[in-house]
Amino acid sequence: VLPFFTTIVPAACAGVAWGILGGALPGISPSITMALLLPLTYTLDPTVAIVMLAATYVGAEYGGSIPAILIRTPGTNAAAATVTDGYAMKLQGRAGEALGISLYSGFVGGLFGLAVLVLLAERLSTLALAFTPQAYFALGVLGLSVIASLARESLVKGLMAGVLGLMISTVGTDPVTGLTRFTFDSPELLSGIAPILVMVGLFAIGELLAQTGEPGWQAVEEKARIRFPGPAMWRRIARPQLIGSVIGTFEGCMPGGGGAVSSFLAYNEARRWSRHKEEFGHGSPEGIAAPEAANNTVACSALIPLLSLGIPSSNSAAVLLGGFLMHGLLPGPMLFVQSTDVVTGLYAGLFAANIAMVIIGYLIMGPCIWLVGRPKPYLMAFIYALVVSGVYAIETSEFQVGLALAFGVLGYAMRYFAVPLLPMVLGVVLGFMVESNYRRSLVLASGDHMTFVQDRISAVLLGLAIVFMVGSLLRHGLDARRRPSGTRA
Amino acid sequence: VNRDLVFGAVCLAVAAGYYLMAAAIPESALSDNVGAQGLPKTYAIVLGVLSLVLIVRSSAAKENHRNAASPPSVFRAGGMLVIGVVYLGVVPWLGYILSLAGLIAATTYYQGGGLNARVAMVALSGAVFFWVLFVAVLGIPHPPGLWPSLF
Repeated sequence: VLPFFTTIVPAACAGVAWGILGGALPGISPSITMALLLPLTYTLDPTVAIVMLAATYVGAEYGGSIPAILIRTPGTNAAAATVTDGYAMKLQGRAGEALGISLYSGFVGGLFGLAVLVLLAERLSTLALAFTPQAYFALGVLGLSVIASLARESLVKGLMAGVLGLMISTVGTDPVTGLTRFTFDSPELLSGIAPILVMVGLFAIGELLAQTGEPGWQAVEEKARIRFPGPAMWRRIARPQLIGSVIGTFEGCMPGGGGAVSSFLAYNEARRWSRHKEEFGHGSPEGIAAPEAANNTVACSALIPLLSLGIPSSNSAAVLLGGFLMHGLLPGPMLFVQSTDVVTGLYAGLFAANIAMVIIGYLIMGPCIWLVGRPKPYLMAFIYALVVSGVYAIETSEFQVGLALAFGVLGYAMRYFAVPLLPMVLGVVLGFMVESNYRRSLVLASGDHMTFVQDRISAVLLGLAIVFMVGSLLRHGLDARRRPSGTRA
Repeated sequence: VNRDLVFGAVCLAVAAGYYLMAAAIPESALSDNVGAQGLPKTYAIVLGVLSLVLIVRSSAAKENHRNAASPPSVFRAGGMLVIGVVYLGVVPWLGYILSLAGLIAATTYYQGGGLNARVAMVALSGAVFFWVLFVAVLGIPHPPGLWPSLF
């Protein structure tokens, strides 16, 4: 077990600082912030690397509220719900108070989510020893079933992105026969395409290409300092924080949930239960507390399906999954048996990260405001430099950088064609697991497909996958009926 | 241009090409019931069917991508990509620091930041910063270029 104060705490602090900086940059989502850091963690101890990435997630969820409050531009999708009341408070000269409420609510939500994570994730992992190849296959299918709910407006295009991801996962050496597939005689492709390359390309490089030609970001006009809420304000925002934390817990656990959905749900419910409904939209502290508590709860609760079942429920969780895989760790039931030190370290790191978020969030406000105000050309140039340097670091190969650029083009094209990115990431991440365990199961069962129903865990997981898929399809059907005709695809 | 139609057609072509490549994977004596071709062929068929569904639906539907990129921004994005490709081409010769400084300067210029002594200084300082971070601190060897062979 790594020493807490000399390794876990510094990693948590570094991750939180990086996350706040990344989250505060408009256009850089928590998943992109994590993807940018991912290559840098390659040479670190696995526990330190995972703590740093998870802490980045925590920091980025808070960081997104800074430009939301200061320049009416949400740094992250999840911070979009904070814009209305945060910016209204800023216009009233209460920017410091708004930033303080955001930070304090994020801290409360983060600790709530961590408590739920510690209580639930390990219990789910007791299934670990009963997992067979059939169950692992079913788990992969359960993960893929999320694609339908991640497809947003277009189910067909989401499914297509998922299948394209599965196709990418087949590049390399066949898991059973050892034959090479789709490698074009390139030795660099023999071991397949690393999910991290796909993620950095789709999210970071794709975003850089998409931001090109967009107008510059609005400059910050005033210097703001955080002012933490007093006892009276604590009491007032306690209820919206609880609402946000509970919603964030459920949304984080649910495949396809995530910070943005939970933030808007929390904002809506906080308004429904508020005694000061009329203040919402005009600078209500509750309108900041609820969404900020919700999205920081998600930063922890999203790790429940990831750690216990190996299923990423959001873009950021998918990048964290990439971090686990990069260090040879397989999230899922066996993680709690084979890598207890990593899990314990992660819990400790998340606790440290939430404490660090308050301290660093206070200290880092000045540099954040300075960075957000940097001219866009410099900001994009340094992000580009960081990406190409980081990707090269993965296997010290220029081929990998070229591959990441190619996935950047793919990411840009997917944005152009309005195709969701996450289904493809899921396909890439889960494709090998699904194929290898499917074929191993059939070898063990002499080709009998009933083996997937006869294995009890496999049957339950496949049943859940069917429920998820049917639910998503029904929801898509209802949404499509509500939309005007001629807009479905 | 109906973008869904274009995307569907591109994916249909990808599915066809991928299927042909999957069919060309040789059989192995160690092969299981499914084989190395099994799932890739299935994926190709599923993608092909979904592509056809998208093509049929989009043929009858109106264009509905309010936030999609316009052609000029597509060309500008292409310029950013060229900067990355040029970086990849020159880094084995010029080495990491100079190439990265060039990438930073070119990106800054391309994004409207101008090209002057200040930009050059920022680019060089940034490249040195990344060299310190990756090579000196993390110990990851980046390409030194032709310089070591000249001295």
